Amino acid sequence: MTSLIESVRTTVGDTLFYGAVSPLVKILVLLFLMILPLIAYLTLAERRILGFMQARLGPNRVGPWGLLQPIADVAKLLVKGDSIPLRAVKWAFVLAPCLVVGPAILVFAVIPLGPRAEAGGLSWFVTDINTGLLFVVATASIGVYGLILGGWSSNNKFSLMGGLRSAAQMISYEVPQGLALVGPVLLAGTLSMVGIVEAQKADRFWYVFPQIVGFFLYLVAGVAETNRNPFDLPEAESELVAGFHTEYSGMRFALFFLGEYANMIVISAVATTLFLGGWLRPFPNVEALAFLDPVPGVIWFALKVFVFLFLYIWFRGTFPRYRFDQLMDLGWKWMIPVALGNLALTALVKLLVA
Amino acid sequence: MDLWKSVRKVADKLLLPDLFAGLALTFKHMFREKVTVQYPEQRLEPSHRFRGMFRLDEDRCIKCTICARDCPIDIIYIDWHQEVNPETGKKDKVLDRFDIDLQRCMFCGLCEEGCPTEPKSIWLTTKTYELASYDRWKNLYVDMDELQQWQVRPAYTDEEIA
Amino acid sequence: MTQPLALPEDDHDGLFADSEEMELSFGPQHPATHGVLRLKLKINGERIVESYPVIGYLHRGTEKLFELHPFFQNIPHTDRMDYVAAATNNQAYVGAVEKLLGLVVPPRARCIRIILAELQRISSHLLWLATHAIDIGAMTPFFYTFREREILLDLFEDYCGARLTLNCMRPGGLPYDLPVGWTGRCAALMADLPGKLDEYEELLTNNRIWKKRTVGIGVLPPEVAIDYGVTGPMLRGSGVRWDLRKALPYDGYDEVEFEVPIGRNGDTYDRYIVRMIEMRQSVRIINQCLEKLPEGPIMAKRPRVMKAGKDAEIYHGIEGPKGEIGFYIVGDGTPNPYRCHVRPPSFINLQSLPELCKGALIADLVALIGTTDIVLGEVDR
Repeated sequence: MTSLIESVRTTVGDTLFYGAVSPLVKILVLLFLMILPLIAYLTLAERRILGFMQARLGPNRVGPWGLLQPIADVAKLLVKGDSIPLRAVKWAFVLAPCLVVGPAILVFAVIPLGPRAEAGGLSWFVTDINTGLLFVVATASIGVYGLILGGWSSNNKFSLMGGLRSAAQMISYEVPQGLALVGPVLLAGTLSMVGIVEAQKADRFWYVFPQIVGFFLYLVAGVAETNRNPFDLPEAESELVAGFHTEYSGMRFALFFLGEYANMIVISAVATTLFLGGWLRPFPNVEALAFLDPVPGVIWFALKVFVFLFLYIWFRGTFPRYRFDQLMDLGWKWMIPVALGNLALTALVKLLVA
Repeated sequence: MDLWKSVRKVADKLLLPDLFAGLALTFKHMFREKVTVQYPEQRLEPSHRFRGMFRLDEDRCIKCTICARDCPIDIIYIDWHQEVNPETGKKDKVLDRFDIDLQRCMFCGLCEEGCPTEPKSIWLTTKTYELASYDRWKNLYVDMDELQQWQVRPAYTDEEIA
Repeated sequence: MTQPLALPEDDHDGLFADSEEMELSFGPQHPATHGVLRLKLKINGERIVESYPVIGYLHRGTEKLFELHPFFQNIPHTDRMDYVAAATNNQAYVGAVEKLLGLVVPPRARCIRIILAELQRISSHLLWLATHAIDIGAMTPFFYTFREREILLDLFEDYCGARLTLNCMRPGGLPYDLPVGWTGRCAALMADLPGKLDEYEELLTNNRIWKKRTVGIGVLPPEVAIDYGVTGPMLRGSGVRWDLRKALPYDGYDEVEFEVPIGRNGDTYDRYIVRMIEMRQSVRIINQCLEKLPEGPIMAKRPRVMKAGKDAEIYHGIEGPKGEIGFYIVGDGTPNPYRCHVRPPSFINLQSLPELCKGALIADLVALIGTTDIVLGEVDR
């Protein structure tokens, strides 16, 4: 592997290699070998796990243990009729699903799956920009336009209400989410995603321990950001039929779905990076656990992400749905003040210690 | 004990015991036995009194047409004529037609209940429930021969299910 | 560009006249309307200004159908009104016919009737809980309740051969006796059920989200409830202790012990609690009946052709799972009823829905449709 990389590098030259070949290969690998299959199998995992929680089996017919179910789903959605309502605003209707999926996948560019490159190797991330976290937050919030546009352009009252709900919800919950993210940033002193993980290694503890409040705030706000139960108001099926994607069918509907699941993975990955030490093994400071070191960082990263994804599914299997005004209450009256307090406390401690 | 009360109130607000109780319950259920029946491979046996597909026994039937009259939606059609039996020399009633329009049948079982013969000439307790069909006039309108011929209406084959 | 958006021209009701408010047609094809209920809503944002239930999408002319058939042939039709509570429909109808004809039901038949009716009450409440919870967004209770309901329906299947449309009672008694081993299976389920009810309650009763969605939502004051003629758990949730099983005992309900739970605030949460307690009380009633199940015949002596007297009329109401289900039958000397009118609890409880959801949010509306526990087959008949 290393020799292959080396030979490619010498053939095309350093500039071209690090400027184009390596990122391109990484993006393709990330997109087609990691994110899309992960999303596909996340849907299967969700249906299976929900099934197990609900005393039933879930889909198990297509392939062994239902493992080919996602492929069957995709095939079905691809060949299904894709209808656009007569009075829909066509350009917005077509644009909306792309606006949901695009940013969600874009975020993966700055998420470090593993450490920086060692000599002669490749790093485990597409790029490391020094404002990585800002990029994540900014990109992720573009997704809300997709939901609003989709809801509005469908020319359906249920869709419109779903779109409005999602707008209010996502904007409200971005505030506590952002404030919760500032805690680790203060501790690390950098916005770079790689830098934050490295700071956790240098500090010898995961930031979830000093930032436990921030962690829970981020968790709750993250569930709300991704419109998942118990905050799945924009698509609440018993109230708004299917909310903003009522009128969507076929692959456009699948794109919304894809976006939702990609967002779930994004939120999980960001939480892992900022609070759970990214690719670091558990208790990076305890020497007794050094035998865990040979396990590649990407495995630890994936394990932590899976824990979050399981939490998402678990919540969905357990909780009723909040009402719109109660959701706003929770966001503005509880989470934002607590997040602000947490932030002030963190800053104070940081100031005193430093 | 106002202090204790308020401590508990605060603990309730912060620690969310009710939410965790629910989470624990659903988590426990992940490892409990599942109740799903894998239908084409596993089939549930209907109870002995299960009202399913009809059977008719022409020999027992005395052509009284009570079943047709007892049917709340009048879907049993019976025609008969009298014929001299060459062996006994007696006049016998012979069925010309005994049709049941299953499309409208609601399987209430009043026809069976009204039947005066012992044992019943028409009965529904055949434990047959796989009555779906692609052709409504072929399989959902059954005549006398069909009502008598089949022993047990065959369960769906794998090809039919697929 | 696409076609310009225009206001519909067929604005007969003038609902679009005020541009602040929006008309929303909630149903008949909507996941939360429990069938084919349609609600014309006038909404301001998410707040409901006015609501108007539109019914009749499932109208089958059942009452006219009753006039065309002899008394015993109408029993299958009663199954199909409130199709999740067929046994109590049967019980109300055959009770009315028995009163009309002066038939005396043997004690064993009465006892089995109570068991069947209470099983049906549990099954109906389980279905209500499932749909109510899934309307409010809790998905899992649906599957748990259906797991238990399945066993319950198996009991019905063992008894009468059908699971939903039971056709399990006849004027004068019962068509079948209990099969061998039935009482044991029933007792086993009754021993199991309270634990299962605890499980549902663990998911919902104390859950803060569930409480937020139900406490103080859709308050129905007792006077208003009485004015609307609301019955059943809806009325008892408002704090009125009125249960026909206690007030006008029929089929031997005066011989069993049970409590009638009532609510305090008349909100959705109280109605939920009332129904949960009712299920436990039903378990209690069934256990008593299984214990004292008398021997003897299951059918009264009755004429081969049942004819009502001329100008005989009767009203007989019983406490169904959803409220008072009653039949008013007029006879004219023939084997058919001259007129048969149904007092359907769902239809009358539905009248209170516009009152309940005045000023509520769309999200509350689905909780309120759930709490009224309507079955459209019965509303439209």
